Amino acid sequence: MYYFDHSATTPLIPEVSELINNINREIYGNPSSVYSLGRKSRSIIENARNQVANSISANPEQIIFTSGGTESNNHILWSILKNNRNHVISNKIEHPAILKVLHFLNKYGLKHDLVGVLSDGIVSVEEIEKAILPETSLISLMLANNEIGTLQPVKEVVEIAKKNSVLVHTDAVQCLGKIDVNVLDLGVDFLSLSAHKFYGPKGIGVLYVKDPKQLSSLIIGGGQERGLRAGTESISAIAGMGLAAEYCVKSLNRKRELLLKLENQLKSGINKFYKEAIYNGNQSKKLPGLTNISFPKNQSAIMMAKLDRDGIAISNGPACGSGDVKPSPVLSEIGLDNQTNLASLRFSFGSTNTEKEVDYLLNKLELNLVK
Amino acid sequence: MSRVIIGMSGGVDSAVAASVLKEKGYDVEALFMKNWEEDSQYCTAEQDYNDALQVCDNLKIPLHTVNFAKEYWENVFEHFLEEYKNGRTPNPDILCNNEIKFKKFLNYAFELGADKIATGHYVQNEEKNGNIKLIKGVDSKKDQSYFLHGLNQKQVSNSLFPIGDYVKSEVRKMAEEQGFNNFKKKDSVGICFIGERNMKEFLKQYLPANPGYIITDKGESIGEHDGLMYYTIGQRKGLGVGGGHSDLDAPWYVIEKDLGNNQLIVAQGHNNSALYHKHLKASNLHWVSGSPPNRDRYNAKVRYRANDVPCKINEMSNTNISIEFDQACFGIAPGQSVVFYDGEVCLGGAVIDSYSN
Repeated sequence: MYYFDHSATTPLIPEVSELINNINREIYGNPSSVYSLGRKSRSIIENARNQVANSISANPEQIIFTSGGTESNNHILWSILKNNRNHVISNKIEHPAILKVLHFLNKYGLKHDLVGVLSDGIVSVEEIEKAILPETSLISLMLANNEIGTLQPVKEVVEIAKKNSVLVHTDAVQCLGKIDVNVLDLGVDFLSLSAHKFYGPKGIGVLYVKDPKQLSSLIIGGGQERGLRAGTESISAIAGMGLAAEYCVKSLNRKRELLLKLENQLKSGINKFYKEAIYNGNQSKKLPGLTNISFPKNQSAIMMAKLDRDGIAISNGPACGSGDVKPSPVLSEIGLDNQTNLASLRFSFGSTNTEKEVDYLLNKLELNLVK
Repeated sequence: MSRVIIGMSGGVDSAVAASVLKEKGYDVEALFMKNWEEDSQYCTAEQDYNDALQVCDNLKIPLHTVNFAKEYWENVFEHFLEEYKNGRTPNPDILCNNEIKFKKFLNYAFELGADKIATGHYVQNEEKNGNIKLIKGVDSKKDQSYFLHGLNQKQVSNSLFPIGDYVKSEVRKMAEEQGFNNFKKKDSVGICFIGERNMKEFLKQYLPANPGYIITDKGESIGEHDGLMYYTIGQRKGLGVGGGHSDLDAPWYVIEKDLGNNQLIVAQGHNNSALYHKHLKASNLHWVSGSPPNRDRYNAKVRYRANDVPCKINEMSNTNISIEFDQACFGIAPGQSVVFYDGEVCLGGAVIDSYSN
């Protein structure tokens, strides 16, 4: 299998997989129980909390374990409902786990404005500043886009937000292990992570909260996660995420280099046989190893099907439940017409990819693309 | 080995068809077609897709998806509404086969590198002297040649119908033996995009309903209808007028839709002669072989599952045909197709425009 879709999800690091299996086999105590079996479970969770906190320069008490990025985003947006100021600013190329939630919460009285992005896929800080109203309580801006990888000016937005006493949330699920994610440097109030995007298990994620005392629970029940997220913890998944986060930070420089190298290899290879290729979004202010390319005269679905036959896993970005390939709203937003939109592929490399694999990919692209 | 791409719906027939092809040694791939955008957030196509996915996983064949919703809307659905507006009873499944399954789907499959396509239809094909014939399915209760009569030589010759020589009960049994999760899945009924929904509620979203009076063949008003588009000639149920209105105790049937006066004309009793006609005129004439067969007597069906009735041609041009049945046929409805047969061979057909005695 030639896997080039790491923005969709990543394989487990073997050590993480082993840790998860071991815990599942042996550690079954309820972390809320006070006897030794329970305390063992609790200790594993708290160790993971430290690992995750360290990976983003946070304190352990600022880390809440959730079921993933989607829940973390929902948690923050729902919590704004209780705020007297009921206006949120976001942007048009956010993930549906922000956009659809905002749309849904409209009918409960949460208003929002979405600013656009420039044709390079980056929001303008001035546009966001202009959108701030007296009743604005939150700006939600992703750290990097999931389809084109562009980095958003979150730090600059935080500065403006602070002047206006507005909170800032960032969806950073694409970022850990690809760029430095530092909550102190960014200055954000909330940040979402998802373990399966950084070689951890699926079904587990993180909500970073700068001031947890100000937050209330979304999932209500037992008093887990200091009352902020009820439900018996998935010990193995949390531990796996902790270890994966630690690995990501330790290997960051090496991995960034590898991702950039593979990306450059792909681009120079494509330039040799497909000069008409269009590279979508800003190609320097973006995540390493994630690049979205349009191949005019081709169709995403056909390219994907043909590459699939050669054992190559690649996507065009969004897919609906019944598997059909739709134009990407992100690519439309940065100005692609429908035809070019539906001629695009998202390449996202990961730490296990090799130059040899990219050679294979280039070879199959050259064979299968209509020129 | 040649590559066959099969249309996979998530139902039993296409699943078993795929397994038959695989057993014969073809390089089989499946293509799931989405022809209708859901109007609610809940995606019903998703369950069908999940069923298709499990079948393909079981057979270890790839599954692709394609969305023809726009093409379906433009080539099938708009025509469907137009026909209803004109008081006719369209058959969108025939049009869907002509315009989508055996045109858009076929072309897409070729783009994906297919040598042939396949479907789970209960029909057969057979080549003789350079001419490819469309033949009824072996299971006479399931035969779907009525819906495929609009195909041409290229379409029939590029298609495989792997379950055309099976009966439905065998197909279900094979699905169970294969371990397909969908082996008990109900056969789809009615028009695909309407699905389990109420036809009346569905049409109401697209066409204004214009209520009027129900008039008997004797000119007596016996009730009100909700809009002529909701009724079909030969229809009994749902008229809202019970039997037993007159001395007779027989149920009422629709015999005519009078668009000019917005009246629904009904007559009593299934054997009422007003429901039976010997002549019909039809247009959009099509022959599977490409030209009219050299004969003037045929068997013909005026609706799906109706009996084949012997008839002769009174007049015929390239596009129009006028025929006379040996015996009067029940419920001839403009908009439906008349389909011609020579024994088991489906020769072609045309869209019914009018009928007379």
